[in-house]
Order: sequence, then structure tokens, then C-alpha cells
Amino acid sequence: MKYILMMSGTKADVEWYATWSKEDLQAHFAFMHAFNKELRDSGVLVATEGLAFPDEAKVVRAGKNGEPITDGVFPESKEFLAGFWIINVDSPEQAYKLAAKVSSAPGRKERGNQPIEVRPIPGGPPPEML
Amino acid sequence: MKYILLMNTMKANCEPLAGWSQKAFQAHCGFMIAIDKELRESGEIVAAEGLSFPDQARLVRADKDGLPITDGIFPEGKEFLAGFWIIDVETKERAYAIAARVSAAPGPDGKPLNMPIEVRQVMSGRPSSGS
Repeated sequence: MKYILMMSGTKADVEWYATWSKEDLQAHFAFMHAFNKELRDSGVLVATEGLAFPDEAKVVRAGKNGEPITDGVFPESKEFLAGFWIINVDSPEQAYKLAAKVSSAPGRKERGNQPIEVRPIPGGPPPEML
Repeated sequence: MKYILLMNTMKANCEPLAGWSQKAFQAHCGFMIAIDKELRESGEIVAAEGLSFPDQARLVRADKDGLPITDGIFPEGKEFLAGFWIIDVETKERAYAIAARVSAAPGPDGKPLNMPIEVRQVMSGRPSSGS
């Protein structure tokens, strides 16, 4: 079964990274590199991506003629997806275990471990709906 | 350049989905499948996934021994990711045009939903740590 692990944060959470020391950032990235390598080597990694910072985000809607209407203003409280992993594992417990691991990536002690949202990815819509 | 199109929704918006008529839901899925086919043929799609409903979502943190603590309670105002597309296109305008197409997927009454689609560039590599 495929699961997605999502790391999200508000714009303020993302800006907080800019206050980290170089050593803290290096330790964080080294942890992520090692985590990705472990997922790849064990054959459970399907995909992983890191997204651009929220200040580049736009929300797009179709106008009445289908043309794109773009807007760059989001509520302060909005959580932005920062990055994700898609993994293929046998049980939700295994997905939660890997999420816990990435949750404990080194950061700044005052914030504790990062929450990771985990959700199954179904194969597609029910066949009777197609 | 790679862009991600994120379809976000509130939990409340997912629940009535079960109340769509089969015909409306088929039209919605048919629309999405046609876009998927078109993007595959133009070579612009990198990946696309539809996620399970928010009631399946869990928030996971490591406890002090590194074991997972799972929680299924989210704030009412939380936006959930319903699905995404990663596309590889020449310009951001093309990314916005594709997002607008998806935005206009038909709703329960057959009219375009014009739902908001968040568009952001995907980093092709990990940010440099200076090492």
C-alpha cells in the first residue's frame, strides 16, 4: 500500500529556518539525505520532493472563460506543504514508524519534533464510478 | 521547470462527495482522466496522485524514544491535500493554464467547480547545505 508523508508549516515556520545556524542546517540536511538513502536502499521509496518556499506560491482559479486567475495572498494561518515522501509499505504501522523517524530530524530543541501527516494513497476511484 | 499543482480542500467539502450522483462523479472523474491523458501525451506530466479522504489522515510525531505517536484530530480549519500533479513545463504561465483547466472540473451540478489550485515550483535538488 502506498502512503504519503507530508511535512507542512506556516510561512512563519518556514521563515524560522532562516534563523538557524549553518551547523544546525547542515545537520538537518544530512539527516534528510541519510533518511532518503535508507528509504531508497530498502526499496520503499516511490517519490520525494521538496517544494519552493511559500512566498512563491500562487493560488489559481479558472475564470468564467477558463482563463487562469492567480492570487498570491494567503491567510497567515495557512499551512504550506514543504515536502513529501511517497512510500510503498506493507502496513500503516510501518508508515507511522518512518514518519516518526523523519519527525525526529534534528532542529531546534525548543520546538520539539515536527508533526508529519500520513495518509494512504488508494489505487484510484472505485471502478463503478468510472 | 517542475511545478506542483496542489488541490486542497476542507474536511467538510469531502464529506458531501459521497452525496454526489454517480453521473456527476463520473463526469468529474472523466474530466480528470482526460486531463491526465492529455498531459501524458504532451509529455508534461511527471507524477499525479489522488489521496485518501481526510478521515484516514494521521499526524505522527516521534516520542522521546523515537517511537511514533499518532493523532487523528485536526483543527476544523485545516486544509487537506486531496491530490496533486507534478508537471514539467517551460513557463509558469503554462503551469497556471493547466491549473486553471483542473480548477474548472465539473461539480455535483455539472458546472465548473472553479476550485482553488495552489501552484508552486518543485526544487529539482535538495537545497545546498554549503557542504
